[in-house]
Amino acid sequence: MSTSTLQHGSAAEHGHDHEHEHHHDLPWYRKYVFSTDHKVISKQFMLSSLFFLFVGGAFALFIRWQLAYPGQAVPIIGDILPASWATNGVISPEFYAQLLTMHGSIMIFFVIIPFAVGMFGNFCIPLMIGTDDMALPKLNMWSFWLVPPAGLIMMAGFFTETGYAAAGWTSYPPLSAQTGLAKFTISGQTLWTISVFLVGFSSIMGAVNYVATVLNKRAKGMKLFDMPLTVWALFITAIIITLGTPVLAAGLSMLFMDNFLHTSFFLPDNLVTNSTYFGGGQPILFQHVFWFYSHPAVYIMILPLMGIVSDVMATFSRKPIYGYKAMVFAIAGIAFLGFIVWGHHMFQSGMNPLLGTTFMLSTIVIAVPSSIKVFNWLGTLWRGNIQFSSAMLNALAFVSMFIIGGLSGVFMASAPVDIYIHDTYFIVAHIHYVLFGGSLFGIFSGIYYWYPKMFGKMLNETWGRRHFFWTFVTFNLTFFPMHILGIGGHMRRIYDPNVYDFLKGLGGVNEVITIGAIALGFSQLILVGNILWSMKWGKKAPRNPWKANTLEWAAPEHPGHGNFDMDITVYRGPYEFGVEGREDDYWPQWEKGASVSVKHHTVAVTDDTKTFGAH
Amino acid sequence: MDGFFSVFDMLAWFPENISTFGQELDSLFAIIYWVSVAIFFLTFGVLGYFLVKYRYSPDRRGYNYHGNNVVEITWTVLPTLLFAAIGLYSDDIWERTKYSKRVPTADVEILVLGKQYGWVFLYPGADGAFGRNAHNDRTARSLMSASNPFGRDTADPAGFDDVVTENQFVVPVNANVVMRGSSIDVLHSFFLPHARVKQDVVPGTWMTIWYNLFKTGKYELACAELCGGGHYGMRAEYEVMSRTDYDKWLDARNAEVKAARTPQPAPAATADTAAVASLR
Repeated sequence: MSTSTLQHGSAAEHGHDHEHEHHHDLPWYRKYVFSTDHKVISKQFMLSSLFFLFVGGAFALFIRWQLAYPGQAVPIIGDILPASWATNGVISPEFYAQLLTMHGSIMIFFVIIPFAVGMFGNFCIPLMIGTDDMALPKLNMWSFWLVPPAGLIMMAGFFTETGYAAAGWTSYPPLSAQTGLAKFTISGQTLWTISVFLVGFSSIMGAVNYVATVLNKRAKGMKLFDMPLTVWALFITAIIITLGTPVLAAGLSMLFMDNFLHTSFFLPDNLVTNSTYFGGGQPILFQHVFWFYSHPAVYIMILPLMGIVSDVMATFSRKPIYGYKAMVFAIAGIAFLGFIVWGHHMFQSGMNPLLGTTFMLSTIVIAVPSSIKVFNWLGTLWRGNIQFSSAMLNALAFVSMFIIGGLSGVFMASAPVDIYIHDTYFIVAHIHYVLFGGSLFGIFSGIYYWYPKMFGKMLNETWGRRHFFWTFVTFNLTFFPMHILGIGGHMRRIYDPNVYDFLKGLGGVNEVITIGAIALGFSQLILVGNILWSMKWGKKAPRNPWKANTLEWAAPEHPGHGNFDMDITVYRGPYEFGVEGREDDYWPQWEKGASVSVKHHTVAVTDDTKTFGAH
Repeated sequence: MDGFFSVFDMLAWFPENISTFGQELDSLFAIIYWVSVAIFFLTFGVLGYFLVKYRYSPDRRGYNYHGNNVVEITWTVLPTLLFAAIGLYSDDIWERTKYSKRVPTADVEILVLGKQYGWVFLYPGADGAFGRNAHNDRTARSLMSASNPFGRDTADPAGFDDVVTENQFVVPVNANVVMRGSSIDVLHSFFLPHARVKQDVVPGTWMTIWYNLFKTGKYELACAELCGGGHYGMRAEYEVMSRTDYDKWLDARNAEVKAARTPQPAPAATADTAAVASLR
């Protein structure tokens, strides 16, 4: 994969040769398995996330089948399902609870976060700031190698007495804390706790690394405000991770002890259950601790993609980002506000309603930086020269779906409206518009955009567009009707809506959603096919296929360990497209040349002695 | 065709509203809905227009322009005002529906408990007062058991006539119903879709739930918080009755409780047997 670097004769001239030779001596397992090269780690994150994307998707399809056709046997594979999952092919209610738990947990902890932070963080940060690798490469390697064991541990819940964890991805106690099992019993829930703890640990190791790298290893001449928005977003995300994840770890530790050692952090007095241990605990405490991390975590899942989409949109609109600094401040604003809004998940939880007021107002304020970002993206398109590549199409899908997801967020931010829609499918619709419509389209966009630099080959554009088209259509077919279910009062996480008279009219909507979901699931095979096919048979990628400005495109076609074959000095900001006085419509950051800024326009000048910042 | 377009009229999918503050919640939902629809068409209109108008042409170049502070401030301030208005208006309704100080004087008081998987209710009975139980006396919590979920003290004469119902309850129309809710095992959520009421019930704590319903009829209560495999079946029915029907219903329950108690020498009853008798 990454050995094809040294063909470039120029490498020797720049004093990297010693390093490169050293890397060539590494045994294969240090190059492809336990590699410290950030690009290899990034690919590893990509492959593991793709794998878990399909695992999580499969769980979702089981859920969808049950909701559309409750009590009917799962087609085709119904007969071979294990007895703990289904009887005569019909999914059992207990397994249904495990399905929704595993779907949520896997998609969030093993797909979106590793994609957004692990894959793009690793790939983009060193390349985009023009350095050879992360500040702490070994730590980086470990941050990946905690993920596969964590995934296996979570999936191993299948082999326990109680099956997978079944208390939802939020794992609210007491349900998650009292299983009626003896002390020191390994259950799906304890494995879930260990697993999430480990991915959290992996996140922290990655994040520490990102912060250290961004602060210490930027190329010569690169000021913080010369960094592309992708790097800014990842940098701020990393700060959120270092502040938030330890809190989750604390909550998980307490939950683990409640389960495994029969402590009682979250179990109040006088429970009437089959457990023998309880007393003195507070169930709502867990919700506070959990959401103190998990609300910022939704920004961990979307901020990096906001950065990526900004870069993609600038490149394919052939225009500078509108309001670069406003974009940076908006990211920082969202990150800060993200820490003071967690209570909006708990409006109906029994938290003092006085706090509802506080959290409602802080939550609604978040709509402001979010709308600033949307307006600036629209401003970026304005008077651009827009090329509809697969990456751009996915970026545009991100923006448009984020608008819908953001607007549906206003409903639940308003506490009185939330009384009715809380814990209904309206929330499910919202989270999927933000996490699939937002994050996953952003991830697709990033994959299409950086694939040439990752693998040295171009992805197939035609299949890229087909993948986009089918995903976009079936995504909306799947998730938009969920708003209707929610308004109809359809609770989330219920096994059989037909139990309720007031939900009887919604069966058709459920069927439409399921058909959409199945098509959506199969559409993703196009992406995987394209990725694998292009790796072998794709067109060879040129060094700068999109004519972009950021530093990763200064690296060779398929950079090896050490990344660059020339010395990088940064002369300007990342978004100088269409500069007056230049023949090319782009002006890479690493190309020497002077410019002046005149009324928000950048103009190239020939006088080398005067260089102004070009923002 | 009408049926087809009704799919896009999202507000038409609400179940019928039967509570006083439910009307306010629905109209607030409608306000946010129409604001969202407006923003949606505005942004998507602009987006679509730009995508068509500025689509790629080899003869043009992107316009090198880095942004404008006046524009930035404008589109920061305008949404701030809009969202602040929504927030403040919402807060007014929130305070009136949920703040503990704003709970109206109760015409009817009921205790409710969630359990895996069902709901139990406790009425004060003919004397209009609860006996000693886990809600009004912390020390009575130790009496809570599967057969006596409310932890009722059977030695307390005030509680002799308390009425327990399971998976069904009855409330009078046009009356302030104040319920105190809790759970005996895990989290549940007390959800009356038609009354626009939702409140999680937490073991170890009593939550106040109140509403005032203006329409008689039979409706459903659902659990809205995952509480285990049987969560989906945690359904109960309730009936909103006219005041006279409600009094009749209550009289009938009182008679039943009395009949169940008579054959037994009251002081000798153990906690469990008395509770079982009143559970019917």
